[in-house]
Amino acid sequence: MKDGSAVSDVGPVFNWIGLWTIVRREWSRLMRVPVQAFIAPWISALLFIFIFGFVVGGRIALIGGHHYLEFVLPGILMLNVVNAAFLQSSSQIYFSRFLRYVEESLVSPLSYAEMIAGVLSVVIVRSVITAIGILVIASLFGVTHIQSVWEFLYWVVSVSVVFGLLGIIIGLWANNFEQLTILNVFFITPLSFVGGVFNTVNMLPKWMQWVAYANPFFYFINGLRHAMIGFNEANEWLGVGVTLALAAVMAVTVWRLFSIGYGLRE
Amino acid sequence: MTPALKISHLTKLYRRGTLAVDDLSLEVEPGDFFGFLGPNGAGKSTTINCITGIASPTSGTIEVFGVDTVKRYRDARRLIGMSPQEFNVDTFAKVYDIIDWMGGYFGMRAAERHARVDMLIEKFDLVAHGKKQFRDLSGGLKRRVILARSLVHDPQLLILDEPTAGVDVELRRDLWRYLQELNKEGKTIFLTSHYLEEIERLCQTIAIIYDGKIVRHGPKKEFVDEPGGLEAAYLRATGAEPDHAVVPAS
Repeated sequence: MKDGSAVSDVGPVFNWIGLWTIVRREWSRLMRVPVQAFIAPWISALLFIFIFGFVVGGRIALIGGHHYLEFVLPGILMLNVVNAAFLQSSSQIYFSRFLRYVEESLVSPLSYAEMIAGVLSVVIVRSVITAIGILVIASLFGVTHIQSVWEFLYWVVSVSVVFGLLGIIIGLWANNFEQLTILNVFFITPLSFVGGVFNTVNMLPKWMQWVAYANPFFYFINGLRHAMIGFNEANEWLGVGVTLALAAVMAVTVWRLFSIGYGLRE
Repeated sequence: MTPALKISHLTKLYRRGTLAVDDLSLEVEPGDFFGFLGPNGAGKSTTINCITGIASPTSGTIEVFGVDTVKRYRDARRLIGMSPQEFNVDTFAKVYDIIDWMGGYFGMRAAERHARVDMLIEKFDLVAHGKKQFRDLSGGLKRRVILARSLVHDPQLLILDEPTAGVDVELRRDLWRYLQELNKEGKTIFLTSHYLEEIERLCQTIAIIYDGKIVRHGPKKEFVDEPGGLEAAYLRATGAEPDHAVVPAS
């Protein structure tokens, strides 16, 4: 090389070490804020379970043969998985742009696919750890029941991917902290609360039931609820289809944004 | 011989309409210590960003040792080490990790990476600072970390964008000595600086960019042999009046 002769293709087809480095690096960043990343959602879940499930739920009749606490737990869990996934990817991308260390990956031989896969890997790890923590907390109240582990994992992982991808889009778009939180405040939190966390669709007025069916969060919560206690209010394959369609749309959007360098390259 | 760096008709037009680089062509020979001069806003950093992948060229091509930086970006980037003008690091990260992660991005295996990081930490006198957060370091130490990071994957072309800005005289001399060592080992160095003394001392070839175009390019000797030396040549090339630059001491 020192004589300046042209090089041949020398690198691996897929830069696994580079991808693993993205995971290691982001894990290191997360471990600087463990309270924010893990303890806060666990405490929030504990409070939800205690108040809505244990205190209030004790006075509510069975829903589909299940105690209210059993009914509400999947919704609480999904709420936290959605938040963990979105906050992870949006903050990872935004802070790397804000502090400009995104340039480290831009000057290195990482492909867009490796960068996106690296971000999503951490998203899934954080979401799964958050979910496991909530299950442990719920076990203290005697309600940890999972009817189908594979179905449970499908919902946790697929919803994490959807919101991980959405977080990447917002992380690329946001130019300040205010913009970073807009989607969470005006879209994610309201839709997740009206998506059936605390109630069945039948409890809603007739006209609002159609609103619930048009809300993707309803399918996420319903799917996880089915995986945990077997309670189902919609065709579960429709829910699977909605999740996969959303993931595909988000993935294409993220790929396109990376390809044109939106928010990344000048 | 394949040039270390070949830029052909590079143009960079930013989305907001600023034409930063205008049909720029340039070649750097392997093993050269190349000085890239120009006033603020002339297009130096944009050119560097296009070479390294931080910015996408609007048109034109860039080859590093014959490898196209867009079509074969993976191979091209393995050949380039970049030390930017501004600190682009996670300021809360530890010094060791910053260098180690960069090696990871370049696909270096753990054993090879750790040996290389240890060597660089020692070479840049950072042993006592390896576990410190970047933000806790002085300006000079930060510069050393950035330089060490740019060298972790042993690149053949080292691009340094004002590497000695804001460092004290002693460190500047240490860095000069180290850069000269690297150049003697065969590394091609592409250096931008506002310190003409630095360029004159280190570089063999000089190019001056002004308003996005190369306005002069040649061996250092041509510049320093002119009346008034490199400073006068630089000022003439950039449209300034050389006579106004030097105010004799009374």
